[in-house]
Amino acid sequence: MKKNAWNVLFVLLGLLAVAAGLWLLRAGAGFGAARALPYVCIGVGCGLFGQGAGELLAARAVRGDPALQRRLEVERADERNRAISDRAKGRAFDRMTFVYSALMLTFALMKVELAAVLLLVAAYLFVEFSAVYDRCKLEKEM
Amino acid sequence: MKNRLEELRKARGLRQEELADALEVSRQTIGSLENGRYNPSIQLAFKIARYFSLTIEDIFIYEEETK
Repeated sequence: MKKNAWNVLFVLLGLLAVAAGLWLLRAGAGFGAARALPYVCIGVGCGLFGQGAGELLAARAVRGDPALQRRLEVERADERNRAISDRAKGRAFDRMTFVYSALMLTFALMKVELAAVLLLVAAYLFVEFSAVYDRCKLEKEM
Repeated sequence: MKNRLEELRKARGLRQEELADALEVSRQTIGSLENGRYNPSIQLAFKIARYFSLTIEDIFIYEEETK
């Protein structure tokens, strides 16, 4: 599927999710954990709509200007820009490891509900294991 | 790593933008290369060498780091 088609799909899905969220909110549907569903729908919908609409508007802005289009393409593929982006992401990941650890410890000391702490631990372990997995994969590739 | 990029570019009367266009990189990359703040990948080094019809060693000067 073309990139624009994906973006149109994101916009439509976003609008649908927001509409569904508002409808659920009005109907007062759900009980227990499902009470959060309308807000989740609205949040996800806004994200999808924003992503899709942003990409469509950006594509529209450069349409009819091949020079600008080429410049943007060069900037995107530029090896220094990519190196900077990768290095920044690497540093942010290292910081995130400390932030997650501190947050887990804080939650544990605050005696926050066990399910919330375990969810955080699961997310932390998922991220760390995915880093190990990628490292092993890249060791074989390079 | 030092290099002769600025000298070679100026000798050909090129602006940073023009060289960047020819090498399909951003103007900032050319600036960083000339200042020695960024070392290029081997692909870009070859591209630069081919563009100036020189070898990589003619353009980039490798110096061992002193402790």
